[in-house]
Amino acid sequence: MLYLELFIQGLVQGSIYALIALGLTLVYGLLRILHVAHAALFTLGGYIGVIVTNATGSFTLAMVVAMLVVGLAGMLMYKLAYEPLLSQPPYVSLIASIALFIASEEIFRIAFGPYGLSYQTAPLQGHIELFSGFYLKYAEILVMGLSTILMIALAWLSMQTRTGVAWRATVTDPDMARAFGVKIQNVRYLNFFIGSSFAAAAGVLVALLNNLVEPTMGSVASYKALAIIVLGGLGSIRGTLIASLLLGVLESFGTIYIGHLLDRDAIAFAFLILVLMIRPQGLMGGKL
Amino acid sequence: MSYEITLMTTMAISVLFALSLNFITGFCGQISLGHAAFLGAGAYTSAMLSKADVPFLFTIPAAAICAAMLGAIIGLASLRVRHDFLAITTMGVGFLFVGIIRQQDFFGGEIGIAGIPSSGFGKGGFMLICIALALTFAAFSLYVRRSWMGFVFKSIADNEDVTRVLGIDVSRYKLIAFIIGTGTAGVAGALYAHHFRFVGPDSFGFVESISVLAMVIVGGIGSVWGVIFAAALLSVLPMLVQFIDDYKLLFYSGLLFAMMRFSPDGIAGLCTRLFSSIPRRVPDNGGNNR
Amino acid sequence: MTEILHVRDVTVRFGGVYAVQNVDLRINNGELIGFIGPNGAGKTTLMRVITGIVQPQSGRVFLQGVDITDKATHLRIRAGLALAQQIVQPLRALTLLDNVAIACGSDKTRHALKSMWVTDIRSERAQARELLARVGLSHVVDELPGTMPLGYLKRLEVARALALNPRLLLLDEPLAGLSQKEAASLADLIATLNADGQTILLIEHNLREVMRICPTLYVQDNGKSLAFGKTDQVMSDPNVRNAYLGVGHA
Ligand SMILES: Nc1ncnc2c1ncn2[C@@H]1O[C@H](COP(=O)(O)OP(=O)(O)O)[C@@H](O)[C@H]1O
Ligand SMILES: [Mg+2]
Repeated sequence: MLYLELFIQGLVQGSIYALIALGLTLVYGLLRILHVAHAALFTLGGYIGVIVTNATGSFTLAMVVAMLVVGLAGMLMYKLAYEPLLSQPPYVSLIASIALFIASEEIFRIAFGPYGLSYQTAPLQGHIELFSGFYLKYAEILVMGLSTILMIALAWLSMQTRTGVAWRATVTDPDMARAFGVKIQNVRYLNFFIGSSFAAAAGVLVALLNNLVEPTMGSVASYKALAIIVLGGLGSIRGTLIASLLLGVLESFGTIYIGHLLDRDAIAFAFLILVLMIRPQGLMGGKL
Repeated sequence: MSYEITLMTTMAISVLFALSLNFITGFCGQISLGHAAFLGAGAYTSAMLSKADVPFLFTIPAAAICAAMLGAIIGLASLRVRHDFLAITTMGVGFLFVGIIRQQDFFGGEIGIAGIPSSGFGKGGFMLICIALALTFAAFSLYVRRSWMGFVFKSIADNEDVTRVLGIDVSRYKLIAFIIGTGTAGVAGALYAHHFRFVGPDSFGFVESISVLAMVIVGGIGSVWGVIFAAALLSVLPMLVQFIDDYKLLFYSGLLFAMMRFSPDGIAGLCTRLFSSIPRRVPDNGGNNR
Repeated sequence: MTEILHVRDVTVRFGGVYAVQNVDLRINNGELIGFIGPNGAGKTTLMRVITGIVQPQSGRVFLQGVDITDKATHLRIRAGLALAQQIVQPLRALTLLDNVAIACGSDKTRHALKSMWVTDIRSERAQARELLARVGLSHVVDELPGTMPLGYLKRLEVARALALNPRLLLLDEPLAGLSQKEAASLADLIATLNADGQTILLIEHNLREVMRICPTLYVQDNGKSLAFGKTDQVMSDPNVRNAYLGVGHA
């Protein structure tokens, strides 16, 4: 049964990765920016989640507030940090983004202390026994459930609404979309809003799984989410989702079987490098 | 006096390390987010040899060779990927390096290697060696800039596809830049190991790679003088300004962001613009420099 | 007459689209061939197959009898090709002079390690100055490409290709974006080069100039060879008139 247990743990982790990496892919697809500071928004989501839950006692409210506030924060970040750099060579926005991310970690540390915050009474800590000896926490079920719902909602939005169609058109071919009268600027804002609020949801969920938010909780997310979107083929949403789940499961098995050789992060990057050597354009990447 | 010597030694090692990255990223245009791995490779090589009683001076070439060999392998692999894929691949190399070192008892694991013997030249002598090596590599960099190799590097950094259509073996040139840059980082690593007399996995991680990239970029990517200035300044700033200690990273990252936002071509670019704007204000055309 | 280039039964597919389909083309020493066809006919793609930027799904390319299909781009260039691209790609950090000088220095850049020991660039700059003068750019040699109009950059592409001293010169729409007068003088230059013995394959949309200077035409449409032969014969071929002129492409 160990295999199944590792597999499901991998899926839980993979769902978190997917929520985080989706926003990165959206930003990359449209602006060709490796948006490292995305992980800062993930952390912000986690903090808001804990703080609002502790203040009001409602986890649902906390989730909604986190997604809204962080979505807006993402739009603001685009406006203030990225928009002025769009005409610069790509390394400029990458470095700016890394700087922003490190700065935000410091700000979280200075504002909320280095040791982080926890839920006063953590919600959803119970568990059910799936089969004999194998327990799944409610929080873990929520992770998989909520990420599936959010993904389906996004898919529905992009297929069925006018805004969604314009949005998809822009991500595939900005010039063409502009020619058809789509306001690229609005699409960019929408991208940052959706991507950031998904990251916030991931932040809240991770805070729930660990019952802890800390200033550095974004670091793993930032590096690994980059690995994931590169693995997926940079800009391919399908590739990103596949890569997220794949990496979650792979790490889950890897830490058990090759953990004595490589730590968890190194496993992810070893896999990434291996894939890139065979397919330099990533798993789902098309022509370059 | 001892304090100044420590300061100067730290500066010299940082300058050497930053110039080694500048060779790859500044000259040849190949971004690297994992350069600290090669500093680490050199540092571990030198540390372990020293502990096995090999004299310090002999560990330097060994560190260079070890780091350069690693660099050649990574360089060969990196030839397959470009731009953003390259950036993330090199970042992965950094994590892989730390991840491997951390799990192996052979390398001291989490704890690292302490008690590295001293260089045997005294603090002052060691400082002079560091400065001499940094200056030598700076001179070498300035020379390469002027050579045909530097000319080709500039062309590759600008547009590698065009360079290829001009009949130039781009891969070969990139590989040479990688080997020289990583080998030199290895030398800096040997100095690092004997300066701090301790090496551990955390000294060569992502933050270290970003810090050195920051030095190159704040200095002005590709500009030897700019990089020397920025590396010297940024390496000792935290020591000079004690009160800033708790805010060191915030300050660092703030500076980096401000630089990207307002002068992406670094201090060197800033200086060029300042100096060229003085005579340009005299004649009537202020606008044609865009 | 010796054969310089032989493209044999080349096919390139992008996804489901055939950009080039079973194309054969032979170029002999000293020829100047005009290569025409409507937009999207696969002209640029065929050029890229010749220079190795695009790999064909099937077919071979021979340069002076040697199969170069599996060779890297830079080796093909060294074997005697040079390409002036349709979309201008100047090296933006280099002056116009140095853009050409680096191509003039192919002896010095051939061996990467040796290139470190050479710093003298005077003879290459002198040569570059001459080439830039030939394409009429001697007054802007020290400018950066970013400030130059398209017409100048087109001519820079040609000068840079000439600097490689190729056996076969490939020109992809060098006249596009030039004024009537500029185009005529660059076309004259192309004709002069050919008269001096340079073998040239010239892709061009400017039919007037092509018909004026090219004795031979090769026509491609929808990825397929349509006609090859003397210019006046080809131009009176009803198939060509239909495909090329009838549809109303520029
Ligand atoms: N890199 C590419 N990827 C996909 N399709 C391409 C690519 N390059 C060219 N094509 C397609 O191949 C066809 C031929 O293009 P091209 O060779 O540029 O024609 P021409 O130069 O004759 O105008 C066109 O339909 C074009 O859209
Ligand atoms: Mg074309």
